[in-house]
Amino acid sequence: MADLLSASGAAVRAADVLLRCAGGRAVMLRMPAPASAADVAEQLGSAVPGFQDVELAPVAFRAARARVAEGKAARWELLVSASAVEALVGSLGYSAAAVLFAEAFGVLVDGVLMTVESTTESQIGGAPYVYRLMLRAPIAAAV
Amino acid sequence: MQNAKDTFYVTLRDRLAAVNPARTMVLRGVTRPGVLVEENELASAYQPVDAFCLRWTGSRLDMRGVLPLIAMDCEIRYGSDGNAGNGGMDRGRLLAAMDAELVAAVGAAPQSAAKMNYTGAAPVALGTRVFWGDVAFGAATVNGERLERVATVEVFCYQEAGEL
Repeated sequence: MADLLSASGAAVRAADVLLRCAGGRAVMLRMPAPASAADVAEQLGSAVPGFQDVELAPVAFRAARARVAEGKAARWELLVSASAVEALVGSLGYSAAAVLFAEAFGVLVDGVLMTVESTTESQIGGAPYVYRLMLRAPIAAAV
Repeated sequence: MQNAKDTFYVTLRDRLAAVNPARTMVLRGVTRPGVLVEENELASAYQPVDAFCLRWTGSRLDMRGVLPLIAMDCEIRYGSDGNAGNGGMDRGRLLAAMDAELVAAVGAAPQSAAKMNYTGAAPVALGTRVFWGDVAFGAATVNGERLERVATVEVFCYQEAGEL
């Protein structure tokens, strides 16, 4: 058991080092503020919730694996350190990373807000060491 | 048209909550009745399971009357994975329960409501009513472990003078 815990901790640290070395950078995760209970204006789309941008670092933005088709928005891959995600999950009070990413409005990369399409994680001994987010660029940015 | 869409949503939400108060969902940290209008939520919001998701599709205008009559199509999407404790084997029953709740809410008399304007601080009643037909159920479709259905309701309203 101790070996397993040690291995998962080492994997998290190794992933952090690799992300920092492989062009590690920071992006912002845009989170909507909690809805107002019984506020019909929000349910009718006439009241806009507030947003909070929180930093995600280190991450690697995989432009090399972008899938681009004519007239379609580009898709990108973002590798995120599990230690950064765990810190956010704890500080923002979410129950799990999956809930955090499901609730997120998008990821702000160099001023472009991208939608989170899917999230997967790589684990060792049941503990995630890196998260892989598939991002979609805005349709307005399609060529 | 927007006032009619808002009125239909609020009426349906209240009726569904009365039929089954336990059907709720959590959206952005708040528990609310299990019904939403897709175009009124964040584009990133996922479709909740065991809840009703309204999508406004087609609309038609009839100018032959004293006031323009607008007919709008409202798709109501819902699905169920069943209970995990039952291995999902009750997903058909849960979908049937949602069918029954929808019939009870949409088919309850009167199938109309006073058209309201919700843009101000307090809702204001307008001069005409919003009315709707019965539910038309689409075929249930299997999407992995999820059983889904799209039901359609035709909603009618008069376009009043000065109304956007």
